[in-house]
Amino acid sequence: MSRSTRFDTKKVNSELVTLTYGTLVAQMVKDLENPDDVSKQLDRIGYNMGIRLIEDYLSKTGSGRCLDLKDTADKIQTAFRMYLGVQPNVVNWSPAGDEFSFSLDSNPLTELVELPDDLKQLKYCNIICGAIRGALEMVQLDVQSWVVQDQLKGDPNTEIRVKFIRRLEDAMPAGED
Amino acid sequence: MEDTLLDLLHSEIINYTLQNGDEKDKKEEDLSGLEYIGFSTGYRIIERLTKEMPRFKDELDTMKFICTDFWLAVYKKQIDNLRTNHQGVYVLQDNAFRFLSRLSSGKQYLEAAPRYVAFTCGVIRGSLANLSIQCLVTAEVQSLPSCKFHIQVQRM
Amino acid sequence: MAVCAAIVGKDNSPKFFCCVNPDEELAFQFKVLSSLDIIEEKLNPTNKSASDNRELYLGQLYSLETCKIYGYVTNTKIKFIIVVDSTNMALRDNEIRSMFRRMHSEYADMVSNPFYIPGEAITSKMFDANIKSIITGTV
Repeated sequence: MSRSTRFDTKKVNSELVTLTYGTLVAQMVKDLENPDDVSKQLDRIGYNMGIRLIEDYLSKTGSGRCLDLKDTADKIQTAFRMYLGVQPNVVNWSPAGDEFSFSLDSNPLTELVELPDDLKQLKYCNIICGAIRGALEMVQLDVQSWVVQDQLKGDPNTEIRVKFIRRLEDAMPAGED
Repeated sequence: MEDTLLDLLHSEIINYTLQNGDEKDKKEEDLSGLEYIGFSTGYRIIERLTKEMPRFKDELDTMKFICTDFWLAVYKKQIDNLRTNHQGVYVLQDNAFRFLSRLSSGKQYLEAAPRYVAFTCGVIRGSLANLSIQCLVTAEVQSLPSCKFHIQVQRM
Repeated sequence: MAVCAAIVGKDNSPKFFCCVNPDEELAFQFKVLSSLDIIEEKLNPTNKSASDNRELYLGQLYSLETCKIYGYVTNTKIKFIIVVDSTNMALRDNEIRSMFRRMHSEYADMVSNPFYIPGEAITSKMFDANIKSIITGTV
């Protein structure tokens, strides 16, 4: 290459993801009309991406099995940093230790987005919930994930909650650890 | 690291737009929805990218920008070959197109190739449109992962 | 400080207009639209001095008794216009350039909103507030 790069490739790629995702959401809103349907689709798309992202994550970090839910939370925290460039805080653990939240005070996906008044029900960040769900399913964890707080709706942070449902069966007979 | 995210998102957008299309006619895939998403994305990103840049001299200058800085930032490399007839037709050749490089070079993948380039055709069209160059963009894939983008500028 | 800012689209249709003093809006709108001709002239490729200057900032377009008008055109042919009160001697060229750059940045962010349709008038309240604070220097 004869000249130095004019643009910061990482930044451009990040902006490209943001803009592409935004355009996709806007298009879905036009196609599906009902914001709840759009939210569901976003979750599904996130799920499809999650089941593949986990492979990429595992190969890039060489992570072993997660010891417990806390360990899982930490690994997802790392994944946020790797793929979205932001590190959320892990907060609001339930007393039973089976639920926790990721709290983001900045989110590259939503940085430049202003939700119009008629789309206030839209769960713009549902793709993240779906991705968490899909990725964890691939490592035998069945979880639920949903948006609790949303900066696009005026909340101070975006909060995504994760609840552990059960461990999915490996091919191990019951009784063995 | 970000690359994976964009590649996966790109695949999901392809799936979404195809699943939304008409089930009846399976032969002709309607890629126009996909192209439109590319168009809108290209339109917006060029506004951000050209913020700090000096004014383009002319059409060729703009095309060169697309082939070098722009392609490098978005597709991780420069365009390998730019040809033009100096009358509004440009052919951009990328010998290792980012979204085709994951497909193996079998015949069945060649048939699916148009899906993987439709978004990019839209991105090019959208970027140029915002730079006041109206055009038609099509892509030609003869052997993976090489791709040629044909740009036909519409003179008003 | 500047008293008014306008954004005009590629096809010369107004996209955005804001005035610090709402009473003077109509008068300023007229002045802004007439400055479009001067912008066209500056951008005209046959004009020798125009093709030498590749900056986005066009400088002062013209000045009237009460105000001076400055222009800036992006590569995407969006025109930004700022009107400055003539009595304001303190505002330097550099400061006006920086106002335009900030306006451009705001505009680029606003266009990146997936729910904004390019070509439409700009109705975002946040954008309006941001531009107002840029031109009044309260950023």
